[in-house]
Amino acid sequence: MRSPRSILAVSLLLAGSAFVAIASAQSSTIKVSDPWARRAAAMSHGDMSKGSMDKGSMDKGGMGKMGGGGTGAVYATISNSGAEADALVAASSDAAQTVELHEVINEGGVMKMRPVPKIAVPAGGKIEMKPGGYHVMLLGLKRDLKPGEKVAVTLKFERGGNVPVEAAVR
Amino acid sequence: MQAFVRSAIVAVALAVATSAPAAEFKGGVLAPPKAAPNVALDTQDGKSFELTRERGKVVALWFGYTFCPDVCPTTLAELSQARTQLGPDGKRFRIVFVTVDPERDTPARLREYVKAFGGSFTALTGSPEQLAQARKAYGVVAEKRVVAGTAASYLIDHSAFVYVIDPGGQLRLMFPFGMSIPDMVHDIKLLLQR
Repeated sequence: MRSPRSILAVSLLLAGSAFVAIASAQSSTIKVSDPWARRAAAMSHGDMSKGSMDKGSMDKGGMGKMGGGGTGAVYATISNSGAEADALVAASSDAAQTVELHEVINEGGVMKMRPVPKIAVPAGGKIEMKPGGYHVMLLGLKRDLKPGEKVAVTLKFERGGNVPVEAAVR
Repeated sequence: MQAFVRSAIVAVALAVATSAPAAEFKGGVLAPPKAAPNVALDTQDGKSFELTRERGKVVALWFGYTFCPDVCPTTLAELSQARTQLGPDGKRFRIVFVTVDPERDTPARLREYVKAFGGSFTALTGSPEQLAQARKAYGVVAEKRVVAGTAASYLIDHSAFVYVIDPGGQLRLMFPFGMSIPDMVHDIKLLLQR
């Protein structure tokens, strides 16, 4: 039997966690809307069946590099209502071994994908991550991303801190 | 940039600037059309594929790689949606993906990739020489890059046009990246009508 006091404590705890959940859906100035991910396969066969590490690149780069594995991309619109510029500086997800920030540059019809250290979100402005532009890249997918499902991703901002989002797989 | 791609871009610019008859198409028009170079490669299931056997259908040819998370799956998803929107005509529209990354894109990996898209397209691979020949025939650029700051062992810079072949086997259009699905459907229908 729980004493009334412990019930009160549990209620407060629940109320507290609810508050955290609401507060973390957006930081005070950063708002992430319409997060979505492209469907993708985890690609358990192919290179991944031989392990995710590519020996040749390990020798060159001095650290483990991924030869295969399924990849995915997460997109969203990020707005900054603050008076100070902010930037998306990292992202993480349990659905992938590695998560990076990338941009795609279109040079005369040739697409060049490159990692970027940060994606700036101007004060009072917004940026749209979309195909052919910026995306959060998931490398080494641990599961398939199927349309209708959601994938949890935490976006980390320079000033705004961590913003967890649930990206709908399309 | 390959001369072929350059001339195609000029053709697009001319079509837009002069409202020539070709402007009825939304995609980039190759004027005059030319016989589509044959593509003879293997499917993800190990069957032989020949473009010349696809007469009677509109074929959308796309060169990409499965490790690409953005431009490639976006294009394949849009072409697949266009195919769905064509309704019964969708049976006469074939989407063909040619890998530019045979090193990673093994047949097993291509099978999973096709499966993830509900089998809406056919994936092709072959020897590095065969694939290089197919790229050359279409003026496709694909350059492997080892890039700092990523866990990927390498990335591939590649052309992002969809090459559209009419039912008579003529290379007619190039869809640029980001072309809307209704515009694609519009152009495919026009080609199917002729």
